[in-house]
Amino acid sequence: MDFAIFLVQLLNGLQYGLLLFLIASGLTLVFGVMGILNLAHGSMYMVGAYLAWYFTLHTDSFLLGALLSAVIALALGIVIEKTLICRLYKRNHLDQVLLTIGMIFVFNALQSLLWGNDSLGVDVPELLSGSIQLTELVAYPVYRLFVAVLCLVLAAGLYLLINRTRLGMLIRAGESNREMVECLGIDINRLYTIVFGAGVMLAALAGVISAPIASIVPGMGEHVLITCFVVVVIGGMGSIKGAFVAALMVGIVDTFASVLFPAVSSMVVYILMAVILLIKPQGLFSN
Amino acid sequence: MTPLLTVRGLHTYYGESHILHGVDFTLEAGQAMSLMGRNGMGKTTTLKSVLGLVAPRGGDVRFNGTDLSGLPTWKRMRQGIAYVPEGRGMFHNLSVKEHLQLAAREGVNGQQSWHYDRVLETFPRLAERLTNLGTQLSGGEQQMLAIGRALLTNPELLILDEATEGLAPLIRKEIWDVIAHIKDSGMSTLIVDKNIQVLKNLCDRHVVLVKGEVVFDGNTTDLLDNIDTVETHLSV
Repeated sequence: MDFAIFLVQLLNGLQYGLLLFLIASGLTLVFGVMGILNLAHGSMYMVGAYLAWYFTLHTDSFLLGALLSAVIALALGIVIEKTLICRLYKRNHLDQVLLTIGMIFVFNALQSLLWGNDSLGVDVPELLSGSIQLTELVAYPVYRLFVAVLCLVLAAGLYLLINRTRLGMLIRAGESNREMVECLGIDINRLYTIVFGAGVMLAALAGVISAPIASIVPGMGEHVLITCFVVVVIGGMGSIKGAFVAALMVGIVDTFASVLFPAVSSMVVYILMAVILLIKPQGLFSN
Repeated sequence: MTPLLTVRGLHTYYGESHILHGVDFTLEAGQAMSLMGRNGMGKTTTLKSVLGLVAPRGGDVRFNGTDLSGLPTWKRMRQGIAYVPEGRGMFHNLSVKEHLQLAAREGVNGQQSWHYDRVLETFPRLAERLTNLGTQLSGGEQQMLAIGRALLTNPELLILDEATEGLAPLIRKEIWDVIAHIKDSGMSTLIVDKNIQVLKNLCDRHVVLVKGEVVFDGNTTDLLDNIDTVETHLSV
């Protein structure tokens, strides 16, 4: 593999990993803070991609479409938490699985009803449609770099939010000892609504920004959900830092595997997960 | 005058086991009350029932005349209750400073007599450890942090569960001195402990639980008159 191709694949791997982090961060936060295993998290990624397609088509602007999609996703997350997820807090994991799997079916049916089952696409916004010449022969699309940078900015924002703000303190306290948070006179349910809404928005945002580089197809949510579970398990359930490291690992390993060992590439991330779990059964950064 | 805390006929179960069999007591504003009993007699369960951390099947709890039944824990605390739980309830991923910042708020009537600086003056050792995580502190320091955090909510009633358990004698004394100081400042306290020697001097009212029932309820004079009986209820 020559250096230019290596570089391109490395960039692809990083960009894919950062996108995975955006989705997995919500999954792991919701699990860490609320103790909820949300199997419908991948559906939020799908919803984001379809919303981006729909609004870009109707507003003629990807930026406007993206903003509208993010706002709607946040509202959707809040409504789902307030009407459905809030019933799960005192129930066991089986009930969580049943409800959130049910939600996958509902979202898939809605997608089919509203937008049909054809593969859809969104054009790369004109401003970001160029490419950067890495070497004489190899160029890299600007939009992919934009995705990576945006994800990094969001990850940095998330880091600051969690470590430097009062809301972040609450999130960490909620992860550590929910009962004690309530004993300080703090309404933990409001925190849950915020965390769930933000998690949904991040997943949907990942769907939005990948819309121009991925095909928008039925079932896209389930595929990403499974990969995100791999990320969350490798990183340690509930750990944001773990999700970040694991997402980059999975992104890079998966990208290189599909170039180097295309025949077995779909297995490689699971092998990675198995090896890491053998060494660290709780994941890399478990609490 | 309405008592600060009224507990009437509390019946609490864990699954099918009946833990509290109609616990009754009242606590007047400004009073310090001890709640004593051997392990497993229902002291912590009584506190948790008052705070809504477990749901009693019967009985009611009133605070300043407000019926707390059916209110979630956080709303009960907002009436002016603070809780220092057994085991101290540290957040493993928050620094000492963050523990205090997270808790700080005005009291129900806007009182702010307990603020960040006053807590650090009361517990100078915490001031040296502001950036440490809650779980990196010694047991005594954790207890100080748990008490400081509770005080920063500017409560009318401070509830302490086994505040000196597992601590070295010197640290115990330090903690008891602080609790006495808090009591002298006029804050009502409800103290769960087994140490009758300290509590008889510190508290004005004493309630003893045996198998989820109140077997003694009286002031310190009553306690001293019945000290032998009470001690048999507390000895193993």
